[in-house]
Amino acid sequence: MGGVYALLSSGVTLIFGVLDVVNVAQGSFLVFSALLTWQIWDLTGIEPLLLIPVMGALMAFFGWIIYRGLVKRVVPQGPGMTVLLMFGVAIAMEGILNIAFGNKFKSVTPPYFTQSLQIGELVLPYPQLISGIMAVVVLVALYFYLKLSWAGRALRASAQNKDGAALVGISSIKASSLAFAIGAMTAGVGGVLLIIMYPIYPATQYDWIAKLLGIIVLGGMGSIPGAVIASMILGISEAFAQAYIPQWSAAIFFGVILVVLLFRPEGLLGEKTREDVTT
Amino acid sequence: MSEAVLAMVGVQAGYGGGLVLQGLDLQIDKGTVTCIVGPNGAGKSTVFRVISGLIKPKSGTVTFLGKDITGQSPSAVLRAGVAQVPQNRALFPEMTVHENVLLGGYAIRRDRALLKQRMAMVEEMVPLVRERAKEHAGNLSGGQRRMVEIGRALMLNPSLVLMDEPSLGLDPKSVAKVALLIREMAASGRTVLMIEQNVRLGMNLATHGVVMEQGQVRLTGDADGIADNPEVATMYLGKARED
Amino acid sequence: MSALKKPANIVGTVLILLLFLYPLVGSETRYFESVLIVCMLYAIMASGWNIISGLAGYVSLGHSVYLYIGMYTGAILGKMWGVPPMYLMVLGGVVAAAIAVVVGFITLRTRSHSFVIITIAVLLLFMTIAQNWKSLTGGTDGFIVKQPEWNKDSPTTPYYYIFLGLMVLTVALVAFIMRSRLGAGLVAIRNDEGKAASIGINTTLYKVTAYALSAVPFGFAGAVYAQYLGFVTPTTALAILMSVFLVLAALVGGRGTLWGPVIGGFLVWGANEASTVLAGEFSARLLIMGVILILTVMFMPAGLLPTISRFVHRRKSQGSAVAFIDQATIAQTRDVAIDSIVARTGQSTDPVVPALEVKGIVKRFGGVTAVDGVSMTVERGSITGLIGPNGSGKTTLFNCMTGTFQPDEGAVFLNGEDITRQKVWTRAHEGLGRTFQITRLFKSMTVLDNLVAPLEKTSVRELVAGRYSGEDVERAREVLDFMGLAQFEGQEAAALSFGQQKLVELAQVLMLRPSIILLDEPASGINPTLIEKLASVIRRLNDAGTTVLIVEHNIPLVLSLCDRVHVLAEGQVLISGTPDEIRNDPQVIEAYLGPDHMLEVNDV
Repeated sequence: MGGVYALLSSGVTLIFGVLDVVNVAQGSFLVFSALLTWQIWDLTGIEPLLLIPVMGALMAFFGWIIYRGLVKRVVPQGPGMTVLLMFGVAIAMEGILNIAFGNKFKSVTPPYFTQSLQIGELVLPYPQLISGIMAVVVLVALYFYLKLSWAGRALRASAQNKDGAALVGISSIKASSLAFAIGAMTAGVGGVLLIIMYPIYPATQYDWIAKLLGIIVLGGMGSIPGAVIASMILGISEAFAQAYIPQWSAAIFFGVILVVLLFRPEGLLGEKTREDVTT
Repeated sequence: MSEAVLAMVGVQAGYGGGLVLQGLDLQIDKGTVTCIVGPNGAGKSTVFRVISGLIKPKSGTVTFLGKDITGQSPSAVLRAGVAQVPQNRALFPEMTVHENVLLGGYAIRRDRALLKQRMAMVEEMVPLVRERAKEHAGNLSGGQRRMVEIGRALMLNPSLVLMDEPSLGLDPKSVAKVALLIREMAASGRTVLMIEQNVRLGMNLATHGVVMEQGQVRLTGDADGIADNPEVATMYLGKARED
Repeated sequence: MSALKKPANIVGTVLILLLFLYPLVGSETRYFESVLIVCMLYAIMASGWNIISGLAGYVSLGHSVYLYIGMYTGAILGKMWGVPPMYLMVLGGVVAAAIAVVVGFITLRTRSHSFVIITIAVLLLFMTIAQNWKSLTGGTDGFIVKQPEWNKDSPTTPYYYIFLGLMVLTVALVAFIMRSRLGAGLVAIRNDEGKAASIGINTTLYKVTAYALSAVPFGFAGAVYAQYLGFVTPTTALAILMSVFLVLAALVGGRGTLWGPVIGGFLVWGANEASTVLAGEFSARLLIMGVILILTVMFMPAGLLPTISRFVHRRKSQGSAVAFIDQATIAQTRDVAIDSIVARTGQSTDPVVPALEVKGIVKRFGGVTAVDGVSMTVERGSITGLIGPNGSGKTTLFNCMTGTFQPDEGAVFLNGEDITRQKVWTRAHEGLGRTFQITRLFKSMTVLDNLVAPLEKTSVRELVAGRYSGEDVERAREVLDFMGLAQFEGQEAAALSFGQQKLVELAQVLMLRPSIILLDEPASGINPTLIEKLASVIRRLNDAGTTVLIVEHNIPLVLSLCDRVHVLAEGQVLISGTPDEIRNDPQVIEAYLGPDHMLEVNDV
């Protein structure tokens, strides 16, 4: 589960880093992808894991459209406005999804859905195991893409210094579109991984928004390593809480966030250097 | 005329409703170092923005190396050979010096051989780029950062380098290093156009001076002539100091 | 007062009058009353939200949590004591404010995006508690609140009037805050928080106060709403939606304005009701509200009221250009009695105690030690210079003195008193003023407003005092006169040139009657004529007894102005001495001025 959190929150934090936009609609992107996966599986019975590239590409395209059509125009209005815009998108999408899929739990159940791998005492359900591995694979691929490709370099450059990026000829619109597309792609992949683990319905998006946002605040806004670490903390604290005090698991995570912020308002890996203050 | 690198004719430009540049004429010759001076609000930075394509002029033309570049996109102007070193920090703080300079070659990223060759050239002109290659740009001092910024701008082998207040916030030793580099650039056939509030330094460094006021060019000439102009002396140089 | 002349105030008053009359004359009142009650609830919430998010700029997306706190407070205590929750609305307000103080103290340490997100997290945290603390809250099912038996013909009318009353009170509260120094301080915080602290505004106190005050109307309304509904449940999804709706209401109307959120409340809930009637289903309503939110943000981001007023304004005054004022005209300083400007009562004048002293300051960033054991003094009545190469730790040391940073080791003394752990604003109150290298004026305010913003102390009386007390304005004019800036009084700060802004910022600092002024590169980015003007102002202030510390790269300026100069290099004091000693010191030339300094920058 930590892996899926890490993948999704990396998408959110990447968009934030490049655009200064908090994508609160990531949860609804995720649910959209999950329900679409369900629909295709329901109709064709196809192995859902095969849909990962399809949904990834589809959602990347969707994110690109959302950026070009909506976000781009609102960015000049400042960060508060873009958050509200994305909330608008999230609510509108929930409405559409409710109408299209109905306000019911949907679940994809491939043959391995109920099986698990047993290693000694440890019981690992296959869906969780597969999702975790797939999430990590995509995350690692994303990491190397950002580190080594020119497009990745351009993205990181835009995230670190927009004016500087414009100066060397990196189009901020192109970089932003790409960031949004990648961010939405993580939701596309995540949606597939999610629906083979849990049943989903449109309003689930709120749980996701809350968790993802908590993760990126805890990790430090815009820091992908921070997001990964915070995801692990969430995953572990949830598993722990699930085992002992199930109904309090969410409260524990938010409690952890509040305590951390009390001591480190900038988050775990948030930057606080001399540069920040002298500007 | 043939030696003109940049010519601006009758340029009017501004933000929103108002016009900042009101019919500006300016010609910059090859291999010169030209310093623009003028009061705050005279439109000096706007000249840079028009040249680099960040704002489109309402009327008038900008010609670069004989080609009309009026209203072209910033990246097109960049590829044509106009690089810019801004006054505030423009580096990517969490990347290494090497990566920073490499990104200066973003526009030629597909040509690996050329990238390599340019990198070698920049490392020769700005030795710091090789010495501190692995360091994060955010950890450099102000003077070192300015040198890396210049190095990055050189990756595209520009014919014209625009520098906005190159001495701003730098200590005298770093200013001297930057000044030396500017002279080297000019010696290697590049043309430099800069804005400098530190008028004495600017005029010492420049071969030519341009005085702007209220969106127009008031005065042009070689640097010594401008510095000796009595009006300029009282307005921008302050009255002579005893020491 | 001029309050009634504003069109928005007239519209607002008429709206309230109509609302007052409606139940008396309307027919079919029952349905519409119930709709209007929720409209008023949203108007109340949006107005309360406006205090922290509109004025101070801290956007909260979880503010409906305080409505829930009011509801639960009313319902739980009402059940325990056998009282209708409505009578406990004051308690609801108090509990909401108390919780807001605690929550605000933590969450307001974060800024912009993080704050938005954390407010959502707080909301969800409280929802989880409400769902799981079954013995207290009844868990997911909540519990029923007994309603008193009122007039059976019009059971909603009493609630209607109570909500109307609460709405009027909330608007009055916001109006009062907007006209107080608290309101001015909140706007300053929205503009530039670090700057606000440097001119003596206790930002933590202001923010937490605003946050708590903004929760009060929610708490009041919550207790009443619980009784009106007749039940209390923690429904998570709806709670977030409610927060989004109330933010939408404030946005549609115009955040930061007095009446905008009220009008927005009616518009948003009205639209919601209309779409319920038209579309019927919950999902369709969601879709419609989402689309409205998107459209508002895209096409009317400032909100209805500001958009209208800008439209009216534009038609009235088309293209009034900013007057171009020549640099030369401000080069003259007028003769004004300087003593009244710098006078500060009750400060030590003992020349033996240094005005400012640092001992053994160490500051590290990650692995880099920026300042490595610096001790130095700024003698009372001196002009002291602090120079050094880039990266030598000047700015870091400066920030340790002003309180922007806490040093890792060492101590800072102001007039002999240890101020190392004091906040930025306390230092300002005690007579330490500073300017910024890149000016940080409140750009949207006029020059005069910028000058009356500083606070010499924090007290309850300051908070509730009117924005412009006569005395402050008078003093501000004196200071502007002294600086030769009188003609700029009514200009927006953003319209001034950079050099002029630097002078205004110095004038702003003078309003604090500082005993010592710290100037961060005052000469950078401005031309020599203005530098001379600045130097003469500094000399005059110093003659009148003000101590000055200058961080600067303009060596001739430093050497001609200062009595004593400290040179920093690699985080340590390289040498301290008179200008002459510094000029000829081989170490300084080596580390700072550079060997070819005579050739290149001889007469910088």
